[in-house]
Amino acid sequence: MLDFFTIFSKGGLVLWCFQGVRGPAATAPVNALIRSVLLQERGGNNSFTHEALTLKYKLDNQFELVFVVGFQKILTLTYVDKLIDDVHKEFRDKYRNEFQQKGALGLLNGTFDFKDDFMRLLRDAEDSSKVRAPTVMKTFEQSLKSQKTVKCMIETRGEKPKEKVKNKKNKGSKKDGTEAVAAPSKVSAADKQLSAAGDKEELTKDEILQKNREEFFRRHMKAGEKSSRSPKPDTQKEKGKKPRVWDLGNSNAKVLDYSNSATNGSAEACPVEEFDPDMALGDKNREPGRLYDLEYESDDEAEEEKVVQNPSKPSVKKGGLGGMFGMLKGLVGSKSLTRDDMDPVLEKMKDHLIAKNVAAEIAVQLCESVAKKLEGKVMGTFTTVTSTVKQALQEALVQILQPQRRVDVLRDVMDAQRHRRPYVVTFCGVNGVGKSTNLAKISFWLIENGFSVLIAACDTFRAGAVEQLRTHTRRLNALHPPESHGGRTMVQLYEKGYGKDAAGIAMEAISYARNQGFDVVLVDTAGRMQDNAPLMTALAKLIAVNAPDLVLFVGEALVGNEAVDQLVKFNKALADHSMAQTPRLIDGIVLTKFDTIDDKVGAAISMTYITSKPIVFVGTGQTYCDLRSLNAKAVVAALMKA
Amino acid sequence: VIWRFVQGRRSSRKAVLLLGLCDAGKTLLFARLLSGRYRDTQTSITDSSAVYRVSQDKSTNVTLIDLPGHESLRLQFLERFKAAARAIVFVVDSVAFQREVKDVAEFLYQVLVDSTVLRNAPALLIACNKQDVTMAKSAKLIQQQLEKELNTLRVTRSAAPTSLDGSATVGPAQLGKKGKDFDFSQLPMKVEFVECSARGSKGEEGEADLEGLEKWLVKVA
Repeated sequence: MLDFFTIFSKGGLVLWCFQGVRGPAATAPVNALIRSVLLQERGGNNSFTHEALTLKYKLDNQFELVFVVGFQKILTLTYVDKLIDDVHKEFRDKYRNEFQQKGALGLLNGTFDFKDDFMRLLRDAEDSSKVRAPTVMKTFEQSLKSQKTVKCMIETRGEKPKEKVKNKKNKGSKKDGTEAVAAPSKVSAADKQLSAAGDKEELTKDEILQKNREEFFRRHMKAGEKSSRSPKPDTQKEKGKKPRVWDLGNSNAKVLDYSNSATNGSAEACPVEEFDPDMALGDKNREPGRLYDLEYESDDEAEEEKVVQNPSKPSVKKGGLGGMFGMLKGLVGSKSLTRDDMDPVLEKMKDHLIAKNVAAEIAVQLCESVAKKLEGKVMGTFTTVTSTVKQALQEALVQILQPQRRVDVLRDVMDAQRHRRPYVVTFCGVNGVGKSTNLAKISFWLIENGFSVLIAACDTFRAGAVEQLRTHTRRLNALHPPESHGGRTMVQLYEKGYGKDAAGIAMEAISYARNQGFDVVLVDTAGRMQDNAPLMTALAKLIAVNAPDLVLFVGEALVGNEAVDQLVKFNKALADHSMAQTPRLIDGIVLTKFDTIDDKVGAAISMTYITSKPIVFVGTGQTYCDLRSLNAKAVVAALMKA
Repeated sequence: VIWRFVQGRRSSRKAVLLLGLCDAGKTLLFARLLSGRYRDTQTSITDSSAVYRVSQDKSTNVTLIDLPGHESLRLQFLERFKAAARAIVFVVDSVAFQREVKDVAEFLYQVLVDSTVLRNAPALLIACNKQDVTMAKSAKLIQQQLEKELNTLRVTRSAAPTSLDGSATVGPAQLGKKGKDFDFSQLPMKVEFVECSARGSKGEEGEADLEGLEKWLVKVA
């Protein structure tokens, strides 16, 4: 049923591979799994879908191994998780020697002949998921009804509820049994129940029912009111009609009175001591009306408080001593990290990240992924849990911020120049993030490097948008007059006024640039909210029709959890409304208003995590020179700084 | 005392790094050099290192370190190991080179302008891997293309916007000589080009074609 099962080291060597039924090569899906899940720190969830396959994986952080199993997406195999765990344990124990050799030589030279063990484990896992056959319905002869005499079947008024209770208990236990079928891990309880139900012995079944009933009642009763009922055989029950004590009805008021006898039904939650004026006022020599300084030895505390304090003090002391030893033990010597050790540290790190303006769900996912990566890892000497977790988190953050593709706009512009076509960049984003300002900054940078720019004013909605761009154009031309660039105007504005169709203007601008020989076209669009469907459709149409070389999403660094929503919806809109097989999505991010946040730089993380696209530019002010590129280490240092 | 100090300095750089883009063949090369057998490989997530006996008669060993080529990881691992590098093998996929020339050049550029690398000047070998495939480009062609590309990159990378904390993306280092086209001979370190095939022309059972690489390793050790 499995398509494949691979075991490979984190360094890339495949230690053992099992090709199952149809077996296309396992490398491509596993590579996809590695690239999209492990390397992008989405390791919180342990399953991944790739085309028609579902891949489940498990990391062994102690020996740096990865176990991956792949099966068809349409199947739901319940034994897969258990199989992975079993295989992990067996493999690790069997080849422990090879792993403990330093360096990769052990992995290279060892032969991992695991096939027989694996087939055995696979068979066990498959069997264990099949063993819970649905319970066969009992035939009439087998059932208890045929064995009862007619006499006892006659139900009198008092007996009727009894039968009902019995049936209810029976159904309850059967239901438990069927639930246990679905989860093969709960073996023992299910076994007992089913074997008990299938038992033909009347007495045993009734005894069990009685016991269940006792449990049921005991749980709902306060201590001390009702003693546990001993299991009575069936015949005794028929003799006398004992009053049935129901949990929900027919009980006396006395039984229902759960209030503590000591309080005498008083309204207060905790008992109040009798007011002793002498004790309350304490110091008899005091002058009435004078406020005394705080004394450390306070005698006038209530006795109760003192009693409460006393036991806590020695426990704290003992805890302190034990804690100190525990800390020393944790420092020296190597021990492996468990989930419990890491949880408090991860909680703190998660709160720290959220305080630094990382979106909440992303902080959670990041911490989950780091936990998965560190579970079972052996710490070196003199490293605390906190430092290991911090180190891992720092590496994960740097990894996220590293661009997954080349970020070199100038190189691409040169390429386009060689092919005699303009390089088209489109800016999109919500309202007021700084699209036009950063567009001007980027055009200044391009002009400095000797490329001529055409600005297409496709913001036909906002009042003053075209005028703003015209002012920028004038200023830029003043800074770089045509004389100093061989007589050609470096910046020109292409506009068609207000109210027209943005996509049409963009198309005309691009053909104009091609005719006039401009190197770059910067397309400015109107800001729009991600929820506004018609506007998102219009933007998607603009991008799909004009096929720009670079689609930049402009986002401000002040945004918090909104960043996730914005990016997801923008990408979705672009993907939905594109006709092509591979739709043009957002290619890069421009992070603006970076000077307004001092070290709450979490928005950078949120944005790159969601899209996995690089941050191409960072805007740090409102003048033309305030354009920077991202320095991953500096941002992560600012994030992790306390 | 001075001799021991010098010895210490020398021995602290005993590593040979295997760098390159994703899918260039670094991990397979690593496995072949160390064990001689063909192994299946996946994308590496972390580094692997092992001691390699350079040749039968010499008793010197070098530590071969195979670093992941994935974009998110490569710089991090380079940071960690660059100080210990005595030599660098930059593995290039000769078949996909035409498509990836810009990415190859960018990574090579990042390695070359790194201040530690410039200071230590480890010997650099550009191994043009996957020569067993018929469409593979020759080492000469790859060298020419890389020189052209690095020439352009010099200009574009130094013109990139400065980094956030003020330090430029490219240090004051300028690759090669200004005014002249970039040439590998202008670098402070020795650069060689070698063709090799980790898979071997006879398929998975056969030997790998690693003679040039092994000879160079002997020279360097």
